[in-house]
Amino acid sequence: MKTTAPPLARLMHATRDDVRHSPRLREASQPIEPVAATPAAGPVRLLHAAAAILGGSVLFDSAVEHYRGSFQNRAMFLPPISAMLNIGSSAHGIASRDTDAHPLRSLSYVASLAIGALGAGFHLYNVTKRVGGFGWQNLFYGAPLGAPAALALSGVVGLAADRIAANEKHTGEATLLGLPAGRTLAALTSLGLMGTVSEAGLMHFRGNFQNPAMYLPVTLPPVAAGVLAGAALRPTRRSRKAAKTWLGVTSVLGVAGVALHCYGVSRAMGGWRNWRQNVVDGPPIPAPPSFTGLALAGLAALTLIERASR
Amino acid sequence: MTSRFPGYDVLAKRNTLSWNEPTRRAIDKRIAVPPGPRFFSVTEWETLCAVCARIVPQPRDRPPVPLPAYVDEKMFENQSDGYRFAELPPQGEAWKTGLAAIEAEAQAAHRAGFHELAATEQDALLRRMQKGELDGPPWRGMPSALFFNKHVLHDIVSAYYAHPTAWSEIGWAGPASPRGFVRLDKGMRDPWEATEAYPGKEDKARRENQRVV
Repeated sequence: MKTTAPPLARLMHATRDDVRHSPRLREASQPIEPVAATPAAGPVRLLHAAAAILGGSVLFDSAVEHYRGSFQNRAMFLPPISAMLNIGSSAHGIASRDTDAHPLRSLSYVASLAIGALGAGFHLYNVTKRVGGFGWQNLFYGAPLGAPAALALSGVVGLAADRIAANEKHTGEATLLGLPAGRTLAALTSLGLMGTVSEAGLMHFRGNFQNPAMYLPVTLPPVAAGVLAGAALRPTRRSRKAAKTWLGVTSVLGVAGVALHCYGVSRAMGGWRNWRQNVVDGPPIPAPPSFTGLALAGLAALTLIERASR
Repeated sequence: MTSRFPGYDVLAKRNTLSWNEPTRRAIDKRIAVPPGPRFFSVTEWETLCAVCARIVPQPRDRPPVPLPAYVDEKMFENQSDGYRFAELPPQGEAWKTGLAAIEAEAQAAHRAGFHELAATEQDALLRRMQKGELDGPPWRGMPSALFFNKHVLHDIVSAYYAHPTAWSEIGWAGPASPRGFVRLDKGMRDPWEATEAYPGKEDKARRENQRVV
């Protein structure tokens, strides 16, 4: 119901009788009831932010890589478009006062999940159709199997945000897939982190770990994934604190990775001046923030676990 | 002859990011080959010019790649290939022997210098060399077929395709230094590579080749 507030001066000088006799003043003098924010609002926003970061990583990475592939297949336009829609949805999810799920938002997340799955299939086909078929050589140099998974993860994390918000609002309990939201999300995030670690490991092995920093994404995030899984299985104060620390480290790693990949581009022949080759051919600058996105999802899971254990 | 890469000039990349200073220096030096002859005698040079014109005939509507000058430079500076067939003498000696022998075969058969013969007569003589049918005393025991394959073909054709004019003709992008190639699958090209003209799409290719940098 929309009400226009009475002038402040009238309220301030209103006597008790005035208030009693004026419905408008009576209403205005009631203490303002805060918008019913569900306890999960914080982690839900964090999850939307995580989905947005994953979406941003996929948007720029798929745009650059598919530009490299000259968008030979029309379907190659799908992931950047889907990632863009996810970013819009997540921004809406963060800004929205209503903590309920939103059908269009959820549709975007579901679409990215589907396109991610489809993309993984396409990429697998690309790898197997190459001379030599399914093997290390083609896993290294064919379409990357892990990249479409990042788009799917963006969708999964966004959907989780919407489902947790809706379940909490309508049932009063933060659940996901009928299970406690925090622990389920922690498990999903751990799996996502390990998938991303595999992708980074494959690519960094291809790059012969020529810079010692290339070992970081195959050593630090697995610890984070492990302690996060630990915090889900045995939710103690100590396990949560360890998980929080390692997820923090992982989220910083995602940002540092961007800087290191920029450095990698500068080291290639012709450096940044030759960006048209080196941005496409060098280390993928938009890829590392996937770790940051997943770390944020993990932190949201921890908050939910913490609330459930109170 | 219609070009498969119309409007493409690899030298247009000279001052772009595709080439750096060492690349520019190397190609400038290659284009500025001394006209020669410095190694061969005048007679040998005339024969060499005639042989080059038959091995790689060049269109008249553009400046030719100075093939005899490159062969002469290679011999003069003794730029060795790093290997030698045991049946052949060192490359300079092989070329001098071979050219003198070709000239002697022309004199014996036609009472004229090789460079004065008609193209068909020159071709016939070169073919006999290719088949190893020439083995008179002027060859000094050098197998003529081997000389044809390992020097006449090798040195002349290598010189041709080491020249930017040939690169423009075949749509090659020049030395990959510093900018190399990204899109390696068949049918794909980088924006800094030449566009091949498909039948009926020559104008499109010509337009795109103006933008190749």
